[in-house]
Amino acid sequence: MDFVLTQLSGFGGAFYALVADPLTYAYLITSVFLGITFGALPGLTATLAVTILTGFFGNKIPLDYSLIALLGAYVGAIYGGSYPSILLNIPGTAASAATAMDGYPLAKEGRGGEALGLTTTASFIGTLIGTIALLVFVWVLLLLSKNIASPEKALLALFGILLSGTLMSEDLVVKGWIAGLIGLAMAMVGLDPLLSEPRYTFGWSYMLSGFQVVPVLMGAFAVPQIIEGMRHMEIGKMAQVKGRILPNFKSVKRYLPTITRSGVIGTGVGALPGVGEDVAGWVSYGVGKTVSKEGDQFGKGSLEGLLSSETANNACIGGALIPLLVLGIPGSPPAAALMGAFKINNIIPGPTIDPEIILRVVAIMLLASFTMFIMGLFTARVFMKILRIPQVVFLPIVMVLTTIGSFSVGGGINDLYLMLGVGFVAYFMNLLKFPIAPLVIGVILGGLFDETFRRSLLISGGDIFVFVSRPVASVLLLLNIALIMSQIPFIKRAFGRLRGKVI
Amino acid sequence: MQTKTTPEELAVLRARDFWGALVLMAVSAFFLWRTFDIPLWGGNRAGVASASWYNSAAIVPLSIFTCLLILSVVLLVIAIKAGGAKRSLSGIGIGWNSAETLRFTTIGIILFFYVAGLVPRVDFVACSGLLITALIFGFYKGHAQRMLLAAFVVALAGTYAMIAHLPQAEWGAHDDDGVTLVLWAALTVFVMINAKGDRVLRIVPVLAVAAPLILVCAMAFGFRQNVPNRGGIIFSQIEYHYYVTLRPLWRS
Repeated sequence: MDFVLTQLSGFGGAFYALVADPLTYAYLITSVFLGITFGALPGLTATLAVTILTGFFGNKIPLDYSLIALLGAYVGAIYGGSYPSILLNIPGTAASAATAMDGYPLAKEGRGGEALGLTTTASFIGTLIGTIALLVFVWVLLLLSKNIASPEKALLALFGILLSGTLMSEDLVVKGWIAGLIGLAMAMVGLDPLLSEPRYTFGWSYMLSGFQVVPVLMGAFAVPQIIEGMRHMEIGKMAQVKGRILPNFKSVKRYLPTITRSGVIGTGVGALPGVGEDVAGWVSYGVGKTVSKEGDQFGKGSLEGLLSSETANNACIGGALIPLLVLGIPGSPPAAALMGAFKINNIIPGPTIDPEIILRVVAIMLLASFTMFIMGLFTARVFMKILRIPQVVFLPIVMVLTTIGSFSVGGGINDLYLMLGVGFVAYFMNLLKFPIAPLVIGVILGGLFDETFRRSLLISGGDIFVFVSRPVASVLLLLNIALIMSQIPFIKRAFGRLRGKVI
Repeated sequence: MQTKTTPEELAVLRARDFWGALVLMAVSAFFLWRTFDIPLWGGNRAGVASASWYNSAAIVPLSIFTCLLILSVVLLVIAIKAGGAKRSLSGIGIGWNSAETLRFTTIGIILFFYVAGLVPRVDFVACSGLLITALIFGFYKGHAQRMLLAAFVVALAGTYAMIAHLPQAEWGAHDDDGVTLVLWAALTVFVMINAKGDRVLRIVPVLAVAAPLILVCAMAFGFRQNVPNRGGIIFSQIEYHYYVTLRPLWRS
């Protein structure tokens, strides 16, 4: 009980400090607005919003303020993706793809205002559920994570990369794993973390410090988006929205069980390493369709379908921050960009993180969700106007933003060459349907995996059974093996036959 | 995350996978070979024994590139089984689209010359203005000639900067700034002639000047960060007047 009271008073202190600082509002309003704009513009994503702001704010202002800017943009962008989904049937972000299934039919029926009002409320409640989960579980996991040593960390990093590769792959799972391995390989460049042995530097001094996270993020997420988006596109006819956009509290009350269930699903999916808001939206939508009484109406303009995806994708944010803060493993691609911001501020997320940072993150999330809610209700028409801007107009400006952001992080011109190189590789990977998120997760976790894997072997004098010597490590090793085995065709077939017999 | 793909799209994808797998195999084989340069079995350098195999800096990269090689072979087998090898030698087989190739190539040229040629050597406002003008004009309506013209103008400015001032010691020179400004102005005039009531094209000059100017000033004076090419012909003037003319107004 004392522990809970201490945490609550700590959170209260962090929240008060945030609310009492006028600069908070300047950063919050600007970043949430930018986030919603990025989310609303098809062609720009939440990951891109957080990545670009990491380049811009990451190490230029105190960490407290840069966290406000980045988290505000993250919350805003995930919500903003619902605008084009509902009004144009084009998901603004991958996270809002499931929203379009019911949002657009509703808008075509002339219920666009109602859909936007409900989406705003659902996103707000979803973010709150994720934030509460973050506040509760982060402490539980932090207590448990004190027992996590090098073998567990190495296996957890590997599990994050493998899981991200498995779930984020649009085509073959093997492509997701290859993307993760490419990311891991990129993290091997530079001086190794234990012996300072140079690896793959080719005599270039810039490479000794390894690939920097921010240019890699910019290259992987921004450059392919710019190349892909620079094409002539007719903006579709936008559905008309009449009247004011207000939350329908009757519907919210009626669908409260759906909202709560979707919030829990979103948080849970977010907590899985490397799995993003898009998966959360679809999983929640799928579950909703299965368990709902009006499941047959999903895809035809069901409010429950709309709420299922929209609540989950925003709840995913809080969930994605749990593994990031507790273990240093990003729970989603935008969280990977946040990890980049922590790294350039010399903060190592994980069991040793300063608890005050966690409390501040929770307080920021709470304020950001309020700001998003208010902006969503009162400035929705501004974002609807922004939707009409062709992407060919704003993507060149994004390129300039990306260039100056990447340059100013520290590496200068060499970082720009790295960004462009990674960008072209990522574009071709997109063409071949290789997912990019596992690559970025691999780059971020590669150093941790290398260091902890070798440290485990060093401590055990080269005994590979060190990875089964502790209960948590054994479980994690089993999970890794099970994940790989589950994708091997003959094992998949055997399981399929077994399931057939059981049923 | 499975999405619906038509059989034809899948066949094209497998043909591309065939080539992708070959490239990946070559890359992983190359890096595996390079990995053997890192001591693995506990070398002895100047009489000092280095780490054992389990602590070697090579052990993790070796595992990564071996796995990459194996997975590339798996991908190759999948591609061949799905008929990717048979289709891989024909343009139609790999889904070659000349319009798309032109679009990508011209964007690639523009981005390459902007990042590698212009940003390090030319004033940031000038080269970013040229980039914004070229990209919007070239790709707004999807006309092939406009794409080619946009790529040509940026490539011309970039090539001049790279040829005239390749070594870093010469990056401070201003003649390439002048060339870029002239090309930017010429392209802007051409865009305005072609605008003919098109609202998007009419705002290109405003965007091209305002966006880089605001960004570079915010970064340099707001966040006090380094910006590319501080000695550029426009930025050096802005910086001079900021510190000499403007700043004393509120500092005093």
